[in-house]
Amino acid sequence: MGSALENYVNQVRTLSASGSYRELAEELPESLSLLARNWSILDNVLETLDMQQHSLGVLYVLLAKLHSASTANPEPVQLIQLMRDFVQRNNAEQLRYAVCAFYETCHLFTEFVVQKNLSILGIRILSRAIDQIRQLDTQLTPIHADLCLLSLKAKNFSVVLPYLDTDITDISTVAAECKTQQQQQSQHTVDANNDAKYFLLYYYYGGMIYTAVKSYERALYFFEVCITTPAMAMSHIMLEAYKKFLMVSLIVEGKIAYIPKNTQVIGRFMKPMANHYHDLVNVYANSSSEELRIIILKYSEAFTRDNNMGLAKQVATSLYKRNIQRLTKTFLTLSLSDVASRVQLSSAVEAERYILNMIKSGEIYASINQKDGMVLFKDDPEKYNSPDMFLNVQTNITQVLDQVKQINKMEEEIILNPLYVKKALGSQDDDLTSQHPKTFSGDPTD
Amino acid sequence: MHLNKYSELLERLESEEFEQVELGAEVYQQLLAIYLYQNKLANAKLLWMRIPAKLKEDKELVQLNLLNQALQNNNYADFFKHIKYEWSERVKSPVEDLLIKQRGELFRLMGSAYVSIYQHNLMELSLMSEEELKKAYVVLNWTEELDGERVILKPKVQESTPSRANDDQLLKLTEFVTFLEN
Repeated sequence: MGSALENYVNQVRTLSASGSYRELAEELPESLSLLARNWSILDNVLETLDMQQHSLGVLYVLLAKLHSASTANPEPVQLIQLMRDFVQRNNAEQLRYAVCAFYETCHLFTEFVVQKNLSILGIRILSRAIDQIRQLDTQLTPIHADLCLLSLKAKNFSVVLPYLDTDITDISTVAAECKTQQQQQSQHTVDANNDAKYFLLYYYYGGMIYTAVKSYERALYFFEVCITTPAMAMSHIMLEAYKKFLMVSLIVEGKIAYIPKNTQVIGRFMKPMANHYHDLVNVYANSSSEELRIIILKYSEAFTRDNNMGLAKQVATSLYKRNIQRLTKTFLTLSLSDVASRVQLSSAVEAERYILNMIKSGEIYASINQKDGMVLFKDDPEKYNSPDMFLNVQTNITQVLDQVKQINKMEEEIILNPLYVKKALGSQDDDLTSQHPKTFSGDPTD
Repeated sequence: MHLNKYSELLERLESEEFEQVELGAEVYQQLLAIYLYQNKLANAKLLWMRIPAKLKEDKELVQLNLLNQALQNNNYADFFKHIKYEWSERVKSPVEDLLIKQRGELFRLMGSAYVSIYQHNLMELSLMSEEELKKAYVVLNWTEELDGERVILKPKVQESTPSRANDDQLLKLTEFVTFLEN
């Protein structure tokens, strides 16, 4: 056994020294089971390898350690420290030859820290891992989903939010990475099947994170991406995202947000499975807070089971606010007790509290007169003539222009893609050939 | 007073949280106080959720969380009630800043949201004595009237101070003008 491990070390050392990383990356997967079998002496192996020079060798040792974690039961803090050292000191150039193995390591690592309840310690490590492996700042990697998961588990979003705020233009998948490296597809097929899972999870978790920090509009966008992903069958991730999508769209728009037409999956599979939520949407449309309260109570078990109860309460609050907002469109002044009875709040004092909060957050413009218990609704005082507004418009314009540029660039890339050209031209050829027989078949009648 | 007054400390505390296990209550106390001061209520709420259960008995943390809940619910009366507490040295400075900031906020909000408000109501909200309150609103040019027995205050709408245009904006504007002229 010992000699087999020695062979491993020697192989890593010689091939790394000669710079034949590709060869090394192709041979290492075969040693994985050997390493995992010898989990007890892997630390000795690590001592003989240098993280910077032999990144690939260390990567596979780490992978083996994580694979055997259930039997070996390593000291969690030690393993986390090892992983932290590795992402800080490894050689990203070498990692490029074993991207899939690196992803797998990160997934297993995530599983490990979640299991040990130490999620918060993994956040920085994964963020560093993403920075190392992604080729563009706007590339989505399967590790993103892991980072989101850890952030949710640890309830700490300060690291993950900048990643979520970046719009994605490129996706790195295991399938694509395998193709570029011409590795044997077979050993990674399981992972390749998970590509869709990690993509959906990223948008599902991302939506949840944005909901937690109350950026509802952004959350809505993330859920929308998740549920409108082209698919033949429904994933349960999509179903859960759909439920949350319905609730968040009530909070943001007061109705079901627009869903692109090309998603038959929603109508066919998801709607029947999200009945409670559709009932909620229908009741919401009646604008009666009382009815809404009753239906939330009625379905509270289902909502609690789906962990959506908190969101349901937010929906209820949003209806009160929406109703008050509606009043501002009809009335110029109204007494506080009238407001309370119209939006079904219990007392004038409560109505005053709601209105005060809404004025504070800028949702309505009004002033309260305590002397005669009236509230005076006003128009939006924004006259679009302040420097602040100018700055606002300016930044929006720049954003839109940047997006147009990005779209043009991506379109150009697609047009120049040989595969696309071949297909576009090929289908034309097909059309031509299929037309020819017709013209010929018509000929004999002449 | 700048919002980034505590950012260095905050950064240090946050990275401590990311890299160490078994943190003491002090780190969480300071983090919570700073989040509240910076008005990052979502962060504060999440922080409270992730504080280990056994630390949640720490008196100062509990007190800070009362402030947190009062702010989440926009409940000024509770806020000013709970902030009267013997704070330890570690959190004293952010909490004091928070108090000043919230007082200012309260008066700004009252100024914009109310045409008239009873003095006793405002005293209840801000937990200030009559003299303190008077001192505060005289500065803002509010007027007082008598409505029967009770004093009613008439806030004056505050002109929002226009933020000064920076060089970048001026440059853009000049560009526009030159474009229009040519």
